[in-house]
Amino acid sequence: MGGKVTCTLGEVKNRADFIIYWGGNPAECHPRHFTKYTITQKGKFIPQGRKGRTMITIDIRETPSARAADIALIIKPGKDFELGTTLRALMKGQPVDEARVEEIGLSLDTIKDLVDRMKRAKFGVIFFGMGLSMTRGKHMNSAGILNIAAEMNAFTKFVCMPMRGHGNVTGADVVLRWTTGFPFGVNLSRGYPRFNPGEFSTVDMLVRGDNDATLVLGADPGATMPQPAIDHLTKTPTIVLDPRVTHTSHLARVHFTTAVTGVSAPGTVYRMDEIPFTLRPGLKSPYPTDEEIVNLLIAAVASKPGWRPAPPAQLAGI
Amino acid sequence: MVRITGGTVYDPANGVDGLVQNIYIGPDGRIAYIGPDGRSVADAQGSGVRTIDATGMLVFPGGVDVHTHVAGGALNFARGLVPENQRIARKFLHSPELRAGIGGLTPTTFATGYLYAGMGWTTVNEAAVPILSAKHTHEELHDIPIVDKSTLLLMANNELMLDLLEAGEFEQAKSLVGWLLWSSKTFGIKAVNPGGVAAWKWGKNANQLHQPIEGYTSITAAQIITGLARIVDELGLPHPMHLHQNNLGVPGNVASTIETMNMLQGHRAHLAHLQFHAYGGHDWGTMKSEAPAVAAEFLTHKNLTCDVGAVLFGDAVTITADGPWQHLLYELTGRKWGNLDVENETGCGIVPYVYSDHKIVNAVQWAVGLELLLLIDDPWRVYLTTDHPNGGGFWRYPEIIRLLMDVEFRKGEVRKLPPEAQNRITLGEIDRQYTYADVAIVTSAGPARALGLTQKGHLGVGADGDITIYSATPDAEGVMFSYPRYVLKGGQVVVEEGQVRAISEGREFIVHPAFDPGIEEFIRPSFQKVYTMSFENYPTEMTRLRHPHVVPCSR
Repeated sequence: MGGKVTCTLGEVKNRADFIIYWGGNPAECHPRHFTKYTITQKGKFIPQGRKGRTMITIDIRETPSARAADIALIIKPGKDFELGTTLRALMKGQPVDEARVEEIGLSLDTIKDLVDRMKRAKFGVIFFGMGLSMTRGKHMNSAGILNIAAEMNAFTKFVCMPMRGHGNVTGADVVLRWTTGFPFGVNLSRGYPRFNPGEFSTVDMLVRGDNDATLVLGADPGATMPQPAIDHLTKTPTIVLDPRVTHTSHLARVHFTTAVTGVSAPGTVYRMDEIPFTLRPGLKSPYPTDEEIVNLLIAAVASKPGWRPAPPAQLAGI
Repeated sequence: MVRITGGTVYDPANGVDGLVQNIYIGPDGRIAYIGPDGRSVADAQGSGVRTIDATGMLVFPGGVDVHTHVAGGALNFARGLVPENQRIARKFLHSPELRAGIGGLTPTTFATGYLYAGMGWTTVNEAAVPILSAKHTHEELHDIPIVDKSTLLLMANNELMLDLLEAGEFEQAKSLVGWLLWSSKTFGIKAVNPGGVAAWKWGKNANQLHQPIEGYTSITAAQIITGLARIVDELGLPHPMHLHQNNLGVPGNVASTIETMNMLQGHRAHLAHLQFHAYGGHDWGTMKSEAPAVAAEFLTHKNLTCDVGAVLFGDAVTITADGPWQHLLYELTGRKWGNLDVENETGCGIVPYVYSDHKIVNAVQWAVGLELLLLIDDPWRVYLTTDHPNGGGFWRYPEIIRLLMDVEFRKGEVRKLPPEAQNRITLGEIDRQYTYADVAIVTSAGPARALGLTQKGHLGVGADGDITIYSATPDAEGVMFSYPRYVLKGGQVVVEEGQVRAISEGREFIVHPAFDPGIEEFIRPSFQKVYTMSFENYPTEMTRLRHPHVVPCSR
């Protein structure tokens, strides 16, 4: 069970004749997504473009994305997991309780029709957003939807992809995996990587007050995190690297203004399907890059006397 | 500058089989002298010359892994998919010299370098790189310290290439392959389940070698295999076409394996993880070893080399570009399944797996790998791999070496298998034992020769100073070769007394074959139509490789 059955965006462009957006609103949050990769693109095997694709949205309200859909399904808030489970049951021909299904906000016939359409698709894809992954059920919802895509492959080709955002968040995830083995929520305090989301994720560390200092890079926790986390950032030394003065800058001990990556600083960005791109800056900046500042910080820390004695030679290493 | 004196040297590429020799590695990190004369070595005076007294020890050329998966999108996908494996894996503590990390089946990059070097392996060939994410692979390779690296480009399901082959445009296809190799800064060509991964984009596979591929009108797996082998030969690449055949892991696949060998007549080719392609029977209930038939056929094809992809009992993570096979494995095991289809190029599938010694199928697989290593009695053409991490972690190679070198131990292990499994294998009847020279060939000299890396896998004058020195006694568990006393990489002592002592950055071997530059004008418009990035963003820039080393092509 579980896992992730996915593809790069070009596969969707070239092949997907059936596209579901669940708990996401790309029309407003990923404004170039429809036109560059999915709905309106003409693909190698979808020469008619928009006419060759069926688009479904599943959300709790009529979003601008829903208005672009062929079928917009509105469900009751917090019923994503129930809908996912019902889809899986019907897909496998299992009985479902009609009265319970109605709590989702859709009729059983509507859901059966959706399953029929999914099975008739030649290449189906489900994109899911934070309306699914960050609401009641959270990672259980994500796991459920990833399972639907995996199990649909017994009937036809089906894939699934989270709609990720916020700059290079995918790149951070990719690099952390190859350097530490884990995508996020990594704790190195014992000298080797440990992973436990909910314990070592940033917000949990800050709320518990576990850390003595915070380096903030490409994020603005002062604007998005709960008050106890913000209070801890205020009480302890916080360093911000950002091209702009952010909410976090105002409560930080130090703010470095840095060049804008992609505009005036080079680097690599990973698209949400984990394809890397080289950033070639068009402008020069009077400000240093994030990398330059971080390297200076590393050098400064390395020049300080160690807080613990160096281990004897026979204990160093593996 | 290092002197190694008094060691018993196994250097089969130069015909040295257990002679006491002295070695001097010069300031350029290459072997400057090897021979019986102690004086020339002693004369190499000067500051910074270190002497290692290897008296009573075994001196081997550094190991070369011809087929492994250590970096890139697929492996990194696997790392994220199995945090429960990472949690129980060996931990690497950071120190002033070493980076923190995690070992196990999908080790972090830094740990990968420490583990390979710690075992005495100094060159690794990453066997699966999509062009679209080659930049990512190179970023990871840069973070694998110590070892030298080469990479293979996934080609047998590249739709631009398939379109050209179907249209009969062989010369253009050849230029395309040359251009793609140089654009992705890779070293050789990998063919994975030719046509099968392209078909998987529609949920299908390519089980028949002579039927048109799903989505195409005429081209077949057989035409892709022979077309690519010819392209690789005509481009004069140092390494032959590296083939993961159709029907991997399927009972009864011996027929298509033998047919594929016959198809390749007249071309060089390397058959990857042959263990997974040597099964008889007609379903999982009747599966049996066909290693004797495969080995006998293989020995008649002097144009072919292979690695075994042996499996060891215990945990594994199966990672392959063979998407349809992984879907089947997911349905068989009900475990997690990762799948990533890469637009127009390839795919990848990941399923964690346990090879159990009570399961007949797994016991047969375990035996087939060893049978191939023993029955293909030309060690220069069969190499030790586990198709890491598909058959087990690379760091378990010493366990396989023990099974090869000790016939009594091996027969004892065979007797522990389920009786029904013992009826389906011949391993218990094989008496061959590997010599030290055989071990040096299948772990180093042979794969280096197959990769076309002339400075690797031997200890002749001019070779890279990549040397592994073992104690001549097995460890407490009876395993030789687990913990080298010294490992030298490029003349630098990187491992000593089981500790990583020095960190160097390995080189990356790449090729720059000759191709018609006009091919770019063909690629550009097709590319813009079917990809989702600008053509200019496609190639990997040379500046991304910190230590590139271009290996010349023979044409």
